[in-house]
Amino acid sequence: MEALKEQVEEKKKLVATLRNKPWRMKRRLDVLKEAQDFVEKFEGALGKGKGRRLYAFKVMMAKKFIKFKRDFENFKTACIPWERKIKDVESHFGSSVASYFIFLRWMYGLNMVLFGLMFGLVILPEVLMGLPYGTIARKTVPRAEQDTAMDYSVLFDFEGYCKYSILFYGFYNNEKQIGLLKFRLPLSYLLVGVGIFGYSLMVVIRTMARNANEGGDGADEGDFTFSWKMFTSWDYLIGNPETADNKYASITTSFKESIVDEQENQKDENIHLRRFLRVLANFLILCCLGGSGYLIYFVVKRSQDFADMDNADLSWFEKNEVEFVMSLLGLVCPPLFETIAELEDYHPRIALKWQLARIFALFLGNLYTFLFALFDEVNEKLEREKIIKNETELALAHYYANYSSFYNTTDVPPPNVHPADAIRGPCWETGVGIEFVKLIVSDVQVSYLTILIGDFLRAVIVRFLNYCWCWDLEAGFPSYGEFDISGNVLGLIFNQGMIWMGAFYAPGLVGVNLLRLLSSMYYQCWAVMSCNVPHERVFKASRSNNFYMGLLLLVLFLSLLPVVYTIMTLSPSFDCGPFSGQEKMYDVVMQAIDQDLPAFIGNIFTYATNPGLIIPGVLLMVLALYYLNAVSEGYQQANTDLKKKMQAARDEEKNRRNNKDSTNQVMKDLEDLLPNKSLIPRPIEEEPPLDVEKVSKPTKTKPGSSGNGVNLQKEVSLAAPNPRGPVTHGPGPRGGPPLNTRGPQPGPARGRGRGGHPRR
Amino acid sequence: MGSRASTLLREEEIEEIKKETGFSHSQITRLYSRFTSLDKGENGTLSREDFQRIPELAINPLGDRIINAFFPEGEDQVNFRGFMRTLAHFRPIEDNEKNKNPPTSEPLNSRTNKLLFAFRLYDLDRDDKISRDELLQVLRMMVGVNISDEQLGSIADRTIQEADTNGDNSISFSEFIKVLEKVDVEQKMSIRFLH
Repeated sequence: MEALKEQVEEKKKLVATLRNKPWRMKRRLDVLKEAQDFVEKFEGALGKGKGRRLYAFKVMMAKKFIKFKRDFENFKTACIPWERKIKDVESHFGSSVASYFIFLRWMYGLNMVLFGLMFGLVILPEVLMGLPYGTIARKTVPRAEQDTAMDYSVLFDFEGYCKYSILFYGFYNNEKQIGLLKFRLPLSYLLVGVGIFGYSLMVVIRTMARNANEGGDGADEGDFTFSWKMFTSWDYLIGNPETADNKYASITTSFKESIVDEQENQKDENIHLRRFLRVLANFLILCCLGGSGYLIYFVVKRSQDFADMDNADLSWFEKNEVEFVMSLLGLVCPPLFETIAELEDYHPRIALKWQLARIFALFLGNLYTFLFALFDEVNEKLEREKIIKNETELALAHYYANYSSFYNTTDVPPPNVHPADAIRGPCWETGVGIEFVKLIVSDVQVSYLTILIGDFLRAVIVRFLNYCWCWDLEAGFPSYGEFDISGNVLGLIFNQGMIWMGAFYAPGLVGVNLLRLLSSMYYQCWAVMSCNVPHERVFKASRSNNFYMGLLLLVLFLSLLPVVYTIMTLSPSFDCGPFSGQEKMYDVVMQAIDQDLPAFIGNIFTYATNPGLIIPGVLLMVLALYYLNAVSEGYQQANTDLKKKMQAARDEEKNRRNNKDSTNQVMKDLEDLLPNKSLIPRPIEEEPPLDVEKVSKPTKTKPGSSGNGVNLQKEVSLAAPNPRGPVTHGPGPRGGPPLNTRGPQPGPARGRGRGGHPRR
Repeated sequence: MGSRASTLLREEEIEEIKKETGFSHSQITRLYSRFTSLDKGENGTLSREDFQRIPELAINPLGDRIINAFFPEGEDQVNFRGFMRTLAHFRPIEDNEKNKNPPTSEPLNSRTNKLLFAFRLYDLDRDDKISRDELLQVLRMMVGVNISDEQLGSIADRTIQEADTNGDNSISFSEFIKVLEKVDVEQKMSIRFLH
C-alpha cells in the first residue's frame, strides 16, 4: 500500500517535470502516456482521483468472489461422502485398507449414475404412463399362484408379487409408444441397457487414464524420505484432539510403511533359491486351480443328471450340491493360496496382486458354472415356450372358429379372458433376472454373516475367553482378524459384474445394489474399526489404483458378452417384456429407424453397415492404436532420459558441495592410496553419480549397522576430485588417463592445500 | 480490552518492535491483545503454563519444544518483546520487501532464520548439531511406543545417513538446510497475520 502510494507520487512528479528532461519528443510522449495510465489506474486504489468509487466497488466484488470461491471449494470438499470415516480407517490401518473403501465409494458413485439412468428412463415411464398392475396378462399373478402370492417364503424366492412387478423384465409392456408424451419404452429399454455398459466402460477407462498420469516424478521423493517424515510430518493446524490422535496414528503407520519399503530394498538375494521356490509355488497353485475346476465341472454334470431324476428322491445335500461345493471352494482356497504364497517372499504389495489374480481365476470357475447352468435353463424355457405358443394359437383359432360359426359374423371381438386366467409362456428373461437377484441377495447374506461370525464373534471370544484360557488367545492362535483386502475387493468386483449382467433382465437390480453398497460401507467401516487389527506388515498402497480398475475392466467385458449375445441371437419371449412379438430384440431399433426417423438416415445406416465400410474403419482404428502406442512409448523414453539427467546433475551438485567441506583425513588417506599422489580429476566426477546410485541400492547394510553404511557412501563420493581443478583449468580432456596430461599442476596444490583450499 | 492494550503499550515500543520484526502497527496491537489475554497472571510476562493452556499446543507432540523456543536460554518468563521476536519468524516473506531499503542484517522471517528456528526445536543442547539421541527423543515423542526401540534407532540412523554429508554422525545446520531445500518452507512456516 505504502509502496503504491510512493510510486504514484513518483509518477506524478515525473509528469510534472517531464518538460525539463533532456529527451527526445517521442520518448517524452511515451513516458507521459505510461505515467498517466499508471496514475489513472492506481489512484483509485488510494482513494483519490476520479475512478475511486468504481475501483473500490471492483475491489470489493473481487474479494467477495474470492471468498465465495473458497467457500464453494470447502463446501464441495465437505460434500464428499464418508471422507472422515475413510480417513479414520486410513490413519489406523494404512493406505492399502483405505484404498478398498475408496474403491467402494467410487463404485457407489458409479451405481448411482446407473440407477439414475435406469430409473429415470425405464422404470419411471412405465410406472407413470404404462398400464397398472392387473390390467393385462403379463402384469398379473396367474390364478394358480394367487393363493400363495403373498407368502413370505414365496416372496423371498422372488416369486409371487415380486415376480410381477417393475423389478423384472416381464412386467414391461411392448406398446410402441405410451402415454401423453408418446414415450417409446421398448426403444428406451434397449438403449438404456446398452448405455449402461457404454457409460461404465467410459468411466472405468477414464479413471484408469487419470490414475496412469499420477505415476509422477519419483525421483524427488527418493532422496530424503526419512528426514522429511521426521521433520515435516506433523500438521500444526490441527486443533481437535480426535484429529490429533488420527494424525499420531497415521505418522506411526507411515513410518512403518517406509520401514517395510526399505526392508524390501535391502534383502539378501539368493536368486536361484528364490526362483525355484516361486516356480514351485506357482505349480502348486495351478494344481489347486485345476483341481477346483474339475470338481466344479464334475458337480455340474451330476446336477444335470439329478435334474432328470425326480425331485422327491434327492436329499438336501444332493439338491444343493453345486452351491455347497462352490462356497466350500471359496472359503478354503484363498487361505490355501496365501499359505503357499509365503514361499514366494514378495513385497506385500506385489504379493497382494498375485493373490488377487489367483482368487480371480478361482472365481471365474464359479462364474462359468453359473452361466452354464443359466444357459441350460434358458434353452429349456425356450423349448417350452414354443409348445405353449402353438397351444395358444390353436386355442385362439378355435375360439374364432366357434365365434364366427355361432354368431355368423366375421367381426370377432377379442376373447374376454381375465388376465389372471390367460395362458402364458415361461418368461425366460424374468427367470434369468430372478436368478441374478437371488444370487446377489445370497451373496450379501453370506458376506455379512462372514463378517459377523468371522470377525465380530471371533473378536468377542478372544477378548472375553482370554481371561480363562490356557494360552494367550490374543497373541497366539485365533487372535483378532486382519482385514482381508483381496477377498473384499474381488467380492466387490464380481458383484458389480453380476449387476452388469443382470441389469438388463431385472431393472430393479441396480437399486438393490445401491442399497447394498450403502449398507456395506457403514457395516464394514464399523467392523474394521472395532474388530480388526492392522496388518503386521503395513504397506503403502500402490500410488495408482489401476490394478483394481484393470480387473474391473476385464469383468466388464466378461459380463458384456452374454448380454450382447442374448440381444443378438436369442429371440425374446412372445408374451412378456418390452420386446414381445419381435423376432430379435434389436428389431426395435430397426423399426424406430425405419418408421420414426427421416428416410435418409435410414439410408445412411444401410450404407454404414456395409462390410466394405466397416473393415477399412476397423483397420484405420488399429493403425491409430499402433501409432498412439508408439508415440506414448517415445514420450516415456524421453521422460526417463530427462529424469536421469536431472539425477546426474543433482548428484554432481551434491559432490561438489561435499568437497567444499570435505574432511581432511579421508582426502589424505585417498591421496596415499593413489599411485601418482594426485587425485584423479574430472572424468571420475561423471562416475560418482552412477557409483553413488549403485551403492545406495544394493547396500547390504542392515538398518542397525548403518554406521558403516555412512562411511561407505562417503568414501565413494569423496573419491570425486576437488572441482577447483577442472574449473580453473577449463574443461579438460575427458576419458582415459587424464593424470598424465594434467597431473603435475593440480597435484602439488592439492597436496599442500589439503583439498579444502579454494583456488579461485 | 482494546483501550487497555494501547495504554500499556507505548508508541516508541511499537516503533521499535516494528523495526525489529517488520510487523505493522495494527498487527502489533492485535498481537498485544492476544498476549494479554494469555497472560493470566497479569504481570506482563508469559510463563510456560500460560502457553500450555492453548489446546493446539497441548495436543502437539512437539508442543513442549515449541513452548521452549519462546523462552530465551535459562529463563522462565517471556515478555512481549520476546514473544514478538519469536512470532516474527512466522511472518510471511513478501516480495516487495526486497525492493525497499535492504536491512543491514537479515530480517527475522528470512528462510534461513525460519529454518534456524526449526533447527533449534530439535537441537536441545544448542550445540548446533542434531545428534542421534536428539533424533531418538523426537521420534519417541512423535510415534510413542507403537514402534519398537530397535526400529526407532534404525529410523534415526537412516535419517542421519540421508542428511549427513561430512560424516560426523550428526546433522549440522547447513545439512539441515540442504535436506529441506525442496520443501516450501516460506509457505509452510508462515502465518497470515491479519492486517
